[in-house]
Amino acid sequence: MSSVAFRAVSKRFGHVEAVRELTLDVPDGELMVLVGPSGSGKTTALRMLAGLEAVDSGEIEIDGRVVNDVAPRARDVAMVFQDYALYPQMTVRDNMAFGLRRRRLPRGEIVRRVTETCRTLGLSDLLDRRPRELSGGQQQRVALGRALVREPSVLLMDEPLSNLDAALRGQARGEIRRLQREVGTTTVYVTHDQVEALTLGDRIAVMNEGRLEQVGTPEQLYDEPANVFVGGFIGSPPMSFLRRDGELLGVRPEHVRPWHEGLLGPIEGRVAYVEALGRETLVGVDVERDARLVTVIEGRARIEVGDPLRLGLVEEGVRRFPA
Amino acid sequence: MIDRREQVLAHVVLGVFALIALAPVVRIVLGTGSLATAWDDGNFSTSLRTSAIVTVSVVLVSGVLSILAGYAFGLMRFRGEQVLFYVIVLGLTIPMEAIVVPLYYDLREAGLTDTYWALILPQAALSTAFGTFWMRAFFRSVPRSLIEAARLDGSSSWMTLWRVVLPLGRPAVLTMVVLVFMWTWNEFLLALVMVSDESLRTAPLGLAFFQGRNTSDEGLLMAGALIVAAPVVVVYLFLQRHFIRGMLSGAVKG
Amino acid sequence: MTRPPGEPRRVAYLYLLPGLALFGAFVLYPLARAGWISLFEWDGVTRGTWVGADNYAALAEDADLRRAFLHSAVLLVFYAALPVAIGLVLAGAASRTRVRGLAALRTILFLPQVIALVVVALTWRLIYQPTGWLGDFDLALPAVGLIGTWVAYGLCFVLFLAGVQKVPLSLYDAARVDGAGALREFFAVTLPALKGEIAVALTLCTIAALRNFDIVYLTTAGGPGDATSVPALEVYERAFETGEVGLAAAIGVCLAAIIFALSFAINRTAERAART
Repeated sequence: MSSVAFRAVSKRFGHVEAVRELTLDVPDGELMVLVGPSGSGKTTALRMLAGLEAVDSGEIEIDGRVVNDVAPRARDVAMVFQDYALYPQMTVRDNMAFGLRRRRLPRGEIVRRVTETCRTLGLSDLLDRRPRELSGGQQQRVALGRALVREPSVLLMDEPLSNLDAALRGQARGEIRRLQREVGTTTVYVTHDQVEALTLGDRIAVMNEGRLEQVGTPEQLYDEPANVFVGGFIGSPPMSFLRRDGELLGVRPEHVRPWHEGLLGPIEGRVAYVEALGRETLVGVDVERDARLVTVIEGRARIEVGDPLRLGLVEEGVRRFPA
Repeated sequence: MIDRREQVLAHVVLGVFALIALAPVVRIVLGTGSLATAWDDGNFSTSLRTSAIVTVSVVLVSGVLSILAGYAFGLMRFRGEQVLFYVIVLGLTIPMEAIVVPLYYDLREAGLTDTYWALILPQAALSTAFGTFWMRAFFRSVPRSLIEAARLDGSSSWMTLWRVVLPLGRPAVLTMVVLVFMWTWNEFLLALVMVSDESLRTAPLGLAFFQGRNTSDEGLLMAGALIVAAPVVVVYLFLQRHFIRGMLSGAVKG
Repeated sequence: MTRPPGEPRRVAYLYLLPGLALFGAFVLYPLARAGWISLFEWDGVTRGTWVGADNYAALAEDADLRRAFLHSAVLLVFYAALPVAIGLVLAGAASRTRVRGLAALRTILFLPQVIALVVVALTWRLIYQPTGWLGDFDLALPAVGLIGTWVAYGLCFVLFLAGVQKVPLSLYDAARVDGAGALREFFAVTLPALKGEIAVALTLCTIAALRNFDIVYLTTAGGPGDATSVPALEVYERAFETGEVGLAAAIGVCLAAIIFALSFAINRTAERAART
């Protein structure tokens, strides 16, 4: 059992409050994604969990044990760094064995674990290479392997895919998802990419300026954003907002339609931009009071910038927030 | 397009000053008389051995101590870090001339003059100031994530230093070694003050006395000069990149 | 700010201890001792007598000592100003034209820096022999100075060359387009870019100028007469030949203070200039 818990954890750097009273539970075996813009505190939270940053107030628990003052090596956590942090002068084999040797595992066990992990990650041919001889994708897998080979209680990942090019990223994402399900290690994953969060996470914690905005499953975050920030952050394209009767209405593109009876509205507007994506077309429409609604139309739409357009909102898809 | 005339002028100017730099060296090489005679006459086997012992000791001691101290300054946070570092930087400017007098009298009291210690310890101390400064700069350039990865892997600071970080610093260490080697080998004043025993003379000191005895025989003098200057010059010719890079990084030692 | 668990804290002092101990014992302590000894009149054998700041007063009053420091000031021109100037000219020449064998040139020009000063002194003594300059009351000091110039200009060149190579070519091209000739280019582009390097060069050369025991001792030993006396030599002579150890210590402390002050001043000026 290796659950993770943050209990009102706070941290400040000088005058900046990086993390404010973060309370979060990650049950055993879950892949929890911390997502948010830069400066949201997600990386700081991860580093506090790793033991690389001190906790100012609150408690961090691993498996029910408070670990605030426990050194990283005693926490049984492993981490995949954004820049991989592979030991440059060591071979892939030694990179992966280093942590195991430090923990004085018997030699046979080390060899077994390294061989197996390399096989799982497809690194068996690269065991004697040095990091600089590897491609970015290979290095990323070695970094992952180095963490997995430790068979840690908690696996931490700090934007491990951000240095890969887009094509590799999608592939790697799927591999990480698959591996995590197989091995079942509790994982905390940090990213600024909300698409990554939605596809990877069992649950997602959205952070902003040190605060936890909302935590829930991808569906929950998508369908029921708790506030304007979450609505505007999750989903691509994000939610559009409209002021009505002292409230802020949040609505996703699929719930913005050309006006007909039964919809909320009508809302008059003028087309601001048209993005033809092949399968569908995104249309941004400037409406009242500097608001812009984004609607999605199937196929190619015969619409041009400047065209007037009358819109309506699907009632069930509208979320209401205090203005 | 650059002026043809300017090109020629530039080459001439550079060439002239290069010749001036080279001329005395060439004079030594060409004017060298019998190396064998000079060798025996000047007792250079003894003085070279002394120089070798002293130099190797200084390089080893200051090298290790500099790596340790530079590691602390470069990658650890502790109270008094700023102050202590300023002290080291200050130490870079302290000339041998200022400390050689008290060193002599104190070491004489301790019965350590005319010993290897008198030659090794002060030079190791001064070289450690430079070495610490130098290695700190290297350690600071190591990516933090590498250190953190090692820490998470359960590596102690000692292990991290020798297994993870230092292997990256071979060029930096080599530069430190060649510079300390050069400064120690060439040191004259300290040896002059501390050593009166003929058998304990370093090479530069031996050469000075050799000169005193042979003011007339140019060939012999040139041979002696060649013998003394050769080790550093040879190392320099093979590793001049390191020499130059080291001196360029604001090495504030003479 | 609290430190993360497991980050080396007190262990840092263990790493520092050996180096600092050695440095403290064989550099800082002797420096302090020099300060202490300088307050006494002492022959090195019998008990010394307390004289307070008298030794330091002598630095200003004693004609011989004043002369030695004056000589140092003169030598600064040869050991620092001249090499810096030559280095600038050479770097300027090398920067604008594609010089063949620049690497070899660097190696040759830097060579004087690695040769033991004992050897340098010996060689130059022989070179000067037919001229008799080292025995001439008026020419001895400049002659010694020129040796220092010879030793130093290569270092300055290499320093400035590295600095010049960092200047983006576009700056030079812009100057050219504006109609600048080589000289104007040098003053408008090259020189300002080298402020930092010039500061370093001046610092290194100044320290070398004040530490010039080796060369003076082995070429002229301060002679003829007093023509080439320098503070470094005075330290040695008064400590080990005339039995004025307290005074020698004072001179040494003074040298250290001057070096420190000059380094500080040079770098301050450079920093201020860099900000403009």
